Amino acid sequence: MSRLLFKRLALSFATLWILSVLVFGAGQVLPGDPARAILGPLAEARAVAVLNHQLGTDRPLLVQYWDWISHFVRGDPGMSYAYRAPAGPFIASALGNSLLLGAVAFLIVVPLSLFGGVWAALHAGRFVDRAITLLGLSATVIPEFVSGIVLILVFGVWLRWLPISATAPRGGGFGSQLFHLILPSMPLVLVLFGYIARMARAGTVEALAAEYTRTAVLKGLPRRDVLFRHVLRNALLPTIAVIGTQTGYLIGGLVVIEVLFRYQGIGTLIYTAARAKDFPLLEAGVLSVGIVYTLATLIADLLYAALNPRVRFGAGE
Amino acid sequence: MLRSRGVLVGVTIIGFWIVCALAGNAFVPYDPYADDLLATLQPPSAEHWFGTDQLGRDIFSRVIVGARDILTLAPVATLLGTLCGTTLGLVTGYFRGVVDDVLSRVIDAVLALPLVIIALLALVALGPSNLTIIVVIGFAFTPIVARTVRAAVLNEAQLDYVAAARLRDETAVHIMVVEILPNVISPVLVESTVRLGYAIFAVATLSFIGFGIQPPSADWGLGISENYGLITGGFWWTVLFDALAIVSLVVGVNLLADGVRETLEA
Amino acid sequence: MSKDRKRLDAVRRDVGVLENDLFDELLSGCIGRRDFMRHGSVLGLSLPLLGGIAGAVFGPTLSPRRAMAAGTPGATIRIGIGQPAGAIDPVTIADNGGLVLLEPTGEFLCRTGPDLVLQPQLAESWRPNTDGSVWTFKLRQDVTFQNGRKMTADDVIASIDRMADPKNSANALSAFKGILQKGNSRKIDDHTVEFHLDAPNGNFPYVLSTDNYNLVILPADYAGDYEKTFIGTGPFKLEKFTPKVGASFVRNPNYWGKPALPERLEYSFFGDQQSQVLALQGGDVDVLQQVAFKGAQALFNDPNIDVMSIKSVSHQQVHMRTDMAPFQDKRVRRALALTLDRKKLVAGLFNGRASIGNDTPFAALFPSSDPTVPQREQNLAEAKQLLEAAGVGKGFDVKLTTERYMEIPDYAVLLQNFAKAVGINIALNVEDQNAYYGKAVFGQSDWLDSVLGITDYGHRGVPNVFLSAPLTSDGTWNSAHFKNPTYDKLVAQYIASPDLGGQRAIAGQIQRLLLDETPLIVGYFFDELVPMRKGLAGIPPIANRLFMEGAHFT
Repeated sequence: MSRLLFKRLALSFATLWILSVLVFGAGQVLPGDPARAILGPLAEARAVAVLNHQLGTDRPLLVQYWDWISHFVRGDPGMSYAYRAPAGPFIASALGNSLLLGAVAFLIVVPLSLFGGVWAALHAGRFVDRAITLLGLSATVIPEFVSGIVLILVFGVWLRWLPISATAPRGGGFGSQLFHLILPSMPLVLVLFGYIARMARAGTVEALAAEYTRTAVLKGLPRRDVLFRHVLRNALLPTIAVIGTQTGYLIGGLVVIEVLFRYQGIGTLIYTAARAKDFPLLEAGVLSVGIVYTLATLIADLLYAALNPRVRFGAGE
Repeated sequence: MLRSRGVLVGVTIIGFWIVCALAGNAFVPYDPYADDLLATLQPPSAEHWFGTDQLGRDIFSRVIVGARDILTLAPVATLLGTLCGTTLGLVTGYFRGVVDDVLSRVIDAVLALPLVIIALLALVALGPSNLTIIVVIGFAFTPIVARTVRAAVLNEAQLDYVAAARLRDETAVHIMVVEILPNVISPVLVESTVRLGYAIFAVATLSFIGFGIQPPSADWGLGISENYGLITGGFWWTVLFDALAIVSLVVGVNLLADGVRETLEA
Repeated sequence: MSKDRKRLDAVRRDVGVLENDLFDELLSGCIGRRDFMRHGSVLGLSLPLLGGIAGAVFGPTLSPRRAMAAGTPGATIRIGIGQPAGAIDPVTIADNGGLVLLEPTGEFLCRTGPDLVLQPQLAESWRPNTDGSVWTFKLRQDVTFQNGRKMTADDVIASIDRMADPKNSANALSAFKGILQKGNSRKIDDHTVEFHLDAPNGNFPYVLSTDNYNLVILPADYAGDYEKTFIGTGPFKLEKFTPKVGASFVRNPNYWGKPALPERLEYSFFGDQQSQVLALQGGDVDVLQQVAFKGAQALFNDPNIDVMSIKSVSHQQVHMRTDMAPFQDKRVRRALALTLDRKKLVAGLFNGRASIGNDTPFAALFPSSDPTVPQREQNLAEAKQLLEAAGVGKGFDVKLTTERYMEIPDYAVLLQNFAKAVGINIALNVEDQNAYYGKAVFGQSDWLDSVLGITDYGHRGVPNVFLSAPLTSDGTWNSAHFKNPTYDKLVAQYIASPDLGGQRAIAGQIQRLLLDETPLIVGYFFDELVPMRKGLAGIPPIANRLFMEGAHFT
């Protein structure tokens, strides 16, 4: 197990390093240059050259990359060109916002879809089952911005139940922020509901048919207890798998939601950094997404293995 | 396959939009591109069924012809991703060793980034155009297809017929293309129909973020992107119909994809 | 002779040649009250004096100061602005969100008021020499920085040299180019500075005014740590600044002038205009920095919100490459310009909140614009004739490249439709702003290299900037690649011209030349819109600026 973990970690580091090179390369072909982005199109070329020199962006590429990565591995993500301040706090706050939005979405979707999946399984083949499956399937394939628009129209503009903006006014407190995140999290909930409910349904159907459930029921245990103990545990497994495999998607979906609801998350940060050619901020932003993705996948795999003894030995690569 | 009700509905929806894209101009009530600056933002009425947009263009006519770009770009992007991914999957699965290790790491690195972020970087770098959309989506799909193909190839490469081909001194290219490929074609087909659904999703999303399709296209994602700032002002009709059109198309394509998967995997 | 006339004659004996020219223009009826006030203010005549003279000629009127009635002090005002694109530093900052943050604590030597009249701020008065090549500014003596130090001529000279120094990464360097070099600002005494210009300039005070966005007066020893202190001489002082979130300011108790009415200002940063609009509608902020009409339509239907509409000269320039097919023939350029229905543009894009343009930067708002130059109207028949005469009667294909900013993409679509009527097929390429401007030098910028493009130009108090870099032969923003020696000579004369009559005569020639050559299409000048909560008052209607010291709730 620890050898496997070690190998996985080593591979993850290699992946992240390649990612940093890819982003650096991509950063070079972005139009404009950092000083021009700061000073604007109307500034004199001489002033732009001076600022590029001050920022160090007129040095050879390899020198710049080495300067950046040697600091990064020591835990220092460098200074943002545009804000002339350490990139760390910007990343932390943006990532925090994104994770909060993701967390709200999960908090809503996990119980909802587990319930839906189990319910569908208990009524397998009947109308409820088909309705849940069909709705889940359709919701999964609709782009977040489309469901987001419809939700804004219905709950924000017509019914006026929920705020349209994802950002609470300054000084509103945490509760107010959570309230503002309900509507933005709904498109993510819709997309994930189908996945998780389908897996929970499959898990439950399998568990219901399994030997141990029948034995338990025959032993005279109340059906509710059996359901709770065996079936839910089995339904939880696929959910964890989904969390692992869907994190990458989730972050991408978050970016779209951030654009639609004007939320200052990591996607917005990466986008503005790319536009401004703010390379340290861009690298740090992209790598933090990569790290979150890698960690989520890793943790999901480990949890999955811990909860389900059957995969522990087969979990080579 | 066509006997399944879902597939039938899917094919009908897609067919409807294809006809609209090809021949919509012939039966729309207004020129979808003609502005009328004295009749902007009119609510739905008998004259304009879906109302008019900020430039006074008839929204009903624009929705009807709005599938044109997405129905061109998504299939081409899927084809590109499938071709590149299959090639990559064949190479990594067949050769294994160092080539496999290096390429697999690069694939992982790309997969660690959400499509939207790749798109943001690429579109800022390459500039917006239909070609960019195709390249970005194709590029993002490549590693996903490659992974599926590689897994299938790994299984096939251990079978006797491959060993036999090696003994015949066939070139690697010949073995990969002529011997292995036909045997892994089924997962490739399944993967590419599933990808088509995602491609529709992706094209719509990219044009919503405002980086792809150029105005004055009537593309639905672009339409939502241009108008969604208006909905708090009560101009709901400028986005709702585009949104519903996208919903119908993605659901249609996914119903079809499900059918294909069930048929091929059965 | 009335008493007023006698006073006027007394004044005339005390002032120089330029001022007397202005009085002659006034007395002969060449210029109206507004133009007289505005141009007199450039020459450094005090506003009460100008008002008195104008009163003598036109009869009494309310003075502009009376219009700013005193209100209840002590309010906290919450302001929504665009997210500053980078660190707040007066030397480098370029975007609106950043520049508006300089206003609570920073001040300029003079500022453009409503109707483009220059008002004294840190300078008490100013006076040119006879040809306008040396300008003398008298500074206020009672001004202190928020750290308690007195402001003197040394601070003013250091602030200007910092911006005019090519060794600095200064944004305002381009504004000083060809006008004033580092080291040519001379201290006469602690409160008098003399500026020795590169060439005579009749409108030089605008270069030292709020028109030159970055030029707040900083202490001579300013070291680049602006975000910590927001040091300046203004009516507010910094309370707290948090990057990417917001900033708050409180009233400066030691302010030299009339104390500000608001007790506190809270600026919140928003990623885009739509979130600002939502915040205002939701009651989270009280006023927004200027918004574009596109996307702000919702505010006009909101009963709780007033939108202040300020006439401005902000516009979008459509450039046509004069050195390349298909636009190297001026008849083709004119033909395209003739396809526009400008009244419809103003109605459709701004619901009337704009003024039509006449393909030159001379907006009707500028007093120096010649109103006798005929307005270009839509004329498709003439456009077709011109195209035929140029040998492209069947029309042609061309690509229009532009930026995704405000209503520009819509403008591009409308141009495309207008041009279709005469067979010109325009394909659109709408880019992200950074991609459009690129490196902003010839050969590496779609803005400067594209054959047909649309570029935004913000409000200025005088047309000098619009006339120079975007149109002169060696202009660094000359995206039309327009090279015309006659034009260059006229612009030099215009800039040097000290009196309004002379400026207007040359302006007429420039306007006619540009109409004939048509390197640019200027379809409209749009109003600046400042939306605010009903009941908020006291914000002066000055384009591009948001001065809060008089703001209060009624």
